[in-house]
Formats: sequence, C-alpha cells, structure tokens
Amino acid sequence: MVARCSRDSWNESGGVAAQAEAIRDRAVVLAQDDGRVWEEALSALHDARGDESADARRDFRLEQTLQDAAAVPLEIAELGADAAALAALAGERGDGTYRADASAAAALAAGGARAAAHLVQVNLAVRPGDTRLVRARASEQAASEAADRLLTPIR
Amino acid sequence: MTALSTLSDADLVRRCRTGDSEAWSELVERYSRYVYAICVRGFRLSDEDAEDVFQDVFTRAFLRLETLRDGSALKPWLAQLTRHRCLDAIASSSRVEPVEEVAADVGSGDMEEIEEAFAVREAVAGLSDACQDILDRFFAQDQSYRTISHELDIPAGTIASRIARCLGKLRSELEGRNEPAEGSGE
Repeated sequence: MVARCSRDSWNESGGVAAQAEAIRDRAVVLAQDDGRVWEEALSALHDARGDESADARRDFRLEQTLQDAAAVPLEIAELGADAAALAALAGERGDGTYRADASAAAALAAGGARAAAHLVQVNLAVRPGDTRLVRARASEQAASEAADRLLTPIR
Repeated sequence: MTALSTLSDADLVRRCRTGDSEAWSELVERYSRYVYAICVRGFRLSDEDAEDVFQDVFTRAFLRLETLRDGSALKPWLAQLTRHRCLDAIASSSRVEPVEEVAADVGSGDMEEIEEAFAVREAVAGLSDACQDILDRFFAQDQSYRTISHELDIPAGTIASRIARCLGKLRSELEGRNEPAEGSGE
C-alpha cells in the first residue's frame, strides 16, 4: 500500500509493490502449509506415544514428519525478513505520509519472523547448532534490524 | 552467423521456408509453450488431447507455412490453428458441452491471460541476463532475498531495489513491444 501510494514520488514503487504482492501470496500458502504440517506432526507424536514398542520404521516416519514441520516455519521466518526489508525500503524511500504504515508493516513482519524462528527452535527435530535454526535466527535478526531502521527514530 | 533466437518471427519464417531445419526447431521451441498453454489453460484439454493437438498444430504449420502471407503474423496464425484444432478435439470427444459454448468461454479471459503471459515472457527475454536471473529467482523460484544474496554474492540490502529496477525495465520493454504490435494491424 505504501509503495502504491508513492507512485508520484518514487520510481521504484511499482516494482516494490509487485514484490510485496508476491510475498503476500507466498505467506498465504505457507500459513496453510504450516497448519497442515503441524497437524501431521501432532498426529505422528500422538501415535508414537500410544505405542512404546521399538519400531524403527515408525520412528523414521516421526522424524521425517518433524523435519517437515520445521521446514515451513523456517520459510516463514525468511519470508518475514523479506517483508520487513521491503517495508523498511518503502518507509525510507516512499511518500513520508505513509511512513508510519510502513513502520507498522515492518514491525509485524519482524514479529512473524521471530515467532516462526521460535517454532523452528522448539521443534523436536531441531538440535542446538542445527543449520536451520541458525538460518531462522539470522532471518529473525535481519527482520528486527529492518524494522528498527524505521521504528528507532520515533522511540 | 545470426543467433536464431534473436530473429524476428518474419525472418524465422523466411528461414523455415528455405528448408532450414534449425530455424524450424527454433520456431517450435519459441511457440511450443504458447500452443500448449492454449490447449491446456485456454481449452482445458487433457494432457493426452493437448499432446495430440500440439503435434497436429505444428504438423499443419509445417505443411502450410507457405500459405502464411505475413511472417510477422506467425503468432496469431498459430493461435488460430490451435484454437481450431482444440475445438475439433472437443467436438470429437465425448464431452457433452456444446463446442460453441466452449469457444465463447475461451474467448473471454483465458486467451487474454495466455497472451499476456507470453508477452511478459518475451519481454523478460529482452532484459539483461542479470535481470532475467534475479526476477526468475524471486518470482519463479520463490527464493528469499537472503538466498539470492548468497548465491549471487550481492548485498542482501540491495536485492529489493535491484528487483524493482529490473521490473521497471520489464515494464518499459513491454510498453515498447505493445506499441508496434498495435500498429501492425493484427
């Protein structure tokens, strides 16, 4: 919205608006995917708890399900970083009238990235030092820094 | 030697008419997705029917290329051939939907969407390799800025602006292409 409202003063606004739409479309798909993999992981954990016997195949399937459940929030964290970066760009170069809207968007995106990184961390398949957790935390950090670029001046 | 991919449709048709097999391969390559998209997205043919129509369209195009008076009209000519063959395929299938209704339905939004998608594809091909690459990574491969930054070794903070500038060039390219097309009488 900020980019669309900045067409008269910012020649990159159309390209930024197009990227924002692409990110929004991806977010919708990822949100649905996240719900699906979460349910599958929950179901797999429930099944495993009901059966204490050693079963390598079941354990492998459980591990795979949990891996999938970590992959989606990782993508969400990276998408959150992209959304925050784009919002920061729009806030800095777009029409100043809408800077507060861009700040709000960046803050929300940073919050989403942080929540998603947390979900990656608590996933049972992710051990400390896991590269996915490192990537998720890097995205959280990048999103936070992007949001701070807009929010800091008015604190 | 001229790269075939850079030839205009008119020049490509001229080369095909001399029996240049490489030119013919380029013609098929250039329009195969277009023809297939009309079959599948425009007329919603099954993969099997679309494959039959696809073969038939290019066979007819090969045999009738001499009848195409203006080589620059290759694309609309192929589109017309494809539409006719799709309608034939529907008429000869067991579908109960009247062919006229299908034709009217297809004539609305789907063909415009296909035309637009191909116009964009052609315009993208006119951009620099760097722009084509970064647009493909972001919009087609859904890569994040971070991944693009790592793989292309450019600062992450500049990716969004680079993409925006490439989209600006794409827009100019599209506008440049649309102007002569409207004046060609197609």
